[in-house]
Amino acid sequence: MNDDERIAALFAAPERAPDEAFVARIERAVLAEQRMKAAWAWAWRRFAVECAASGAVVTAFYLLWRLGPANLPLDQLPVGPAAAAILVLGLWFGVELRASATGR
Amino acid sequence: MDQELDLARRAAAGDAAAFAALVRAHEAAVRRFLARLTRGDGADDLAQEVFLKAWRSADAFRGDGSYRAWLMRIAWTLFLSAHRARGRRDAREQAAPVPESAHDRDAAIDLQRALAGLGERERAAALLCFGEGCSHGEAAAIMAIPLGTLKSILARARTALVQRLEA
Repeated sequence: MNDDERIAALFAAPERAPDEAFVARIERAVLAEQRMKAAWAWAWRRFAVECAASGAVVTAFYLLWRLGPANLPLDQLPVGPAAAAILVLGLWFGVELRASATGR
Repeated sequence: MDQELDLARRAAAGDAAAFAALVRAHEAAVRRFLARLTRGDGADDLAQEVFLKAWRSADAFRGDGSYRAWLMRIAWTLFLSAHRARGRRDAREQAAPVPESAHDRDAAIDLQRALAGLGERERAAALLCFGEGCSHGEAAAIMAIPLGTLKSILARARTALVQRLEA
């Protein structure tokens, strides 16, 4: 037996069937990773929507404050597009908060 | 090869079953390579990392080489990161797990002795070319070194192995 044959014999490994336990381990890890990725994507989407909703409400408040008459008496409501918009945004924000609290 | 490329493309598109078929086909070679390289120390955890990295970057496989060579390259890169982070001293002192059967045990001990003292690059080159049947070009690509460098590393490894076999 020459040197190359001896080296080849030294490194030779018997063929074996696939290790199904290891394959299952990788499948579980891949599944966990897929779920984690989906959860992160959902969380970021939710975060972006809530940021947008919060920004819209804050902007609406600011516009209302800038556009509304100064020293408005309490018995006179500031009716107009800005007031309607803030009402809609407020409702939306409330729904979003409820949805994020319940996780749906 | 075409079937493997098809599986790799499906895995890149998020098909976990196709990826499982690739794992089933290549886990033995990847785990054997890592077990011999690390002497058994955390080889299966590292192999899991290899397959997870392959899953995450499945779309990086272009099909210009074999899928096994691509996995081996990931394995080598991860081994280097893990090995260098932990320090060389530990790895040299670790003993590989001993197989169950007497014949396999004797063979593993012989291989362990033969590989002892080889540098990590010599060991990897010998394992790839003598153990896994990679061509010199494939081994050079896996280790990300020029072909000439691979050949000289392999020649050094061969000389050291012959000396140990004769001792």
